[in-house]
Amino acid sequence: MKRLVLARRETPTRGGQPLAFLVGLVFALVVGAILLWITGDPVLDVYERMWDRSLGSQNTWSDTFNRAVPLALAGLAVSIAATMGLWNIGAEGQIMFGAIAATFVGRLLPDAPGLILIVAMLLAAAFGGALWSFGPAVARSEIGVSEIITTLMLTEVASRLIVYLEQGPWKDPDGFGFPGVTPRPDQAELGTLWERTHIGVLIALAVIIGFAWYLRRSVWGYELRIAGSSEKAAAYAGISVRRKVLGVLLVSGAVAGFAGGIELLTTTTGKLTVQISNGYGFAGIIVAALALMRPSGVAAVALAFGALQVGGQAIQTNPGVSPAVATILQGLVLFGAIGAAVFSTYRLRLVDRQVAES
Amino acid sequence: MILGVTFTEAGVIGLLVATVQFGTLLYLAALGETISEKAGVLNLGVEGMMATGAAMGFIVGVETGSPWLGLLGGAVAGAIVSLIHAAAAVGLGADQVVSGLALTFLGLGFADFIGDGYTDDERRARFADVEIPGLDDIPWVGEVVFRHSPVTYLAVIIGVVAWFVLNRTAVGLGLRAVGETASTADAAGHSVVRLRFAAVATGGALAGVSGAYLTTYLVGSWSQNLTAGRGWIAVALVIFGAWRVGRVAIGALLFGLTLALKSRLTLFDIEISGQFVDMLPFLLTIAVLVVISFRARNRPSPAPAAIGIAYRREER
Repeated sequence: MKRLVLARRETPTRGGQPLAFLVGLVFALVVGAILLWITGDPVLDVYERMWDRSLGSQNTWSDTFNRAVPLALAGLAVSIAATMGLWNIGAEGQIMFGAIAATFVGRLLPDAPGLILIVAMLLAAAFGGALWSFGPAVARSEIGVSEIITTLMLTEVASRLIVYLEQGPWKDPDGFGFPGVTPRPDQAELGTLWERTHIGVLIALAVIIGFAWYLRRSVWGYELRIAGSSEKAAAYAGISVRRKVLGVLLVSGAVAGFAGGIELLTTTTGKLTVQISNGYGFAGIIVAALALMRPSGVAAVALAFGALQVGGQAIQTNPGVSPAVATILQGLVLFGAIGAAVFSTYRLRLVDRQVAES
Repeated sequence: MILGVTFTEAGVIGLLVATVQFGTLLYLAALGETISEKAGVLNLGVEGMMATGAAMGFIVGVETGSPWLGLLGGAVAGAIVSLIHAAAAVGLGADQVVSGLALTFLGLGFADFIGDGYTDDERRARFADVEIPGLDDIPWVGEVVFRHSPVTYLAVIIGVVAWFVLNRTAVGLGLRAVGETASTADAAGHSVVRLRFAAVATGGALAGVSGAYLTTYLVGSWSQNLTAGRGWIAVALVIFGAWRVGRVAIGALLFGLTLALKSRLTLFDIEISGQFVDMLPFLLTIAVLVVISFRARNRPSPAPAAIGIAYRREER
């Protein structure tokens, strides 16, 4: 009798992760095609549309770039926390609260000059995101409460807070009685680079490069990695794990909140809504996981994911095709990549059952 | 008057009835997660499995006209999607957090996909309340405890069975051993992979039943985002219940109360914004976790030791 076992390769396959990502993408598209085929939708037609709408022309590249911005920043937020083995699952809520804080500043300084207002709103957004992760950060660092649950719960709270603001205190007096927050001041809008691609793309890229560099080169980043790999080693080296946990979760929240600020400054309506985060916080977790929690890989993965999402929206405009296919594709990419990644460090071997059992 | 709420007798009874109803919902999912985690597999995909169960439960229910078959369909669907997590996290040893989150996405997407044509469906396959003869006449208690859908009674039975299997049988012992130290359990002759797959699938089935309970009783219809974060509360409940079947049940009722508050607002003369009542279960979850962790900070954790750790025999 023979059976299959996973055996560790002596050295991991080079370039395994980008390859795994590609395998995941192909896997998702194949399974997606099967789903579309089952429901009787024209598979090639739908995929062609996805391609046209995301990467097909310069014009649609703008949408993909813009979409990649919040995904990359959310992915960065998640991966920063992950350097210490922490899970910031609540980036979604921090994005929302970042946008709330930015809106607050916009309401406070409605007549400030554009540049000053933009900087103030973005700083407020980062501060707001950090504020929203402060509770989970303290709970984790001081008494060890799982940050997975707490950050996630606060996401639910943030979304209801926005609905409350829409209906009550921040309701637009010019909104014809409908719930909705007053739009941000007109001068507080990020300009565009080309076509519809906004300056947020450059800002996000700078933030990512900055963090990738800082985490790798600074003492702080070095200590984070030590504390993340072994608390004992960290304690021996005189590193306060508690303070690192607190700091890293606050920074992670700030980056997510910053993404919320960028979104607020670039939405066409200029309004704070529950949809401002649009699932970016959750998708950011997938992005970070696919980038193996490395800030340097986040931008590339976010770009690919941006294309997938923007293309997925094209599906929704196809009559009769379920928009859920786009959501399914995103989950499948990750599963496919997880599966493929295993094979960059392991390989399948047929062994005798007796050997395997002993 | 407390917090601007006026209490009436009918209001309080209605609130308690709804508490048991929402408690049932949370308990089924949380019990499933407890079983999975007992075997050492964290499954953060509860929300996705629940949504899949809800959609499939509604579809099977209205197509066959039987809420029971709907419940079964939900269980099967929940178990099937959970096996994706099992394959990745147990079979391939992928990170359990990442895989579980991917399952959340996949489950929510899959639920919307299969439920797409059923969103505005007028048909219903709904359980009727069953009164326990002789007991339902007891004032207050009868109404609150003995007049419920069969699913609530089923949840109690499943809870008792789960407790018995986990704590009094060889299979349960093996499952718990696998969740503590997989290599030792393996050496003792338990199949780590088989037990973990079974535990994850059981958890998936129960999450699926929980979701189907939404569409075959509590709400009665299918719509997007029907689960509304309750699957995540179920995950938190397992910590609250210290991975014990009975304590998870108590937690389910407590959190059920906060969910019920929202649905019963109309019975009270309420003065606070509905959005804040909506936040309650989530804030309460955080508060409870903080208190639990604070009290237990100097004691060993009640969590299964092998939770989150993949097991590969060749690397023990």
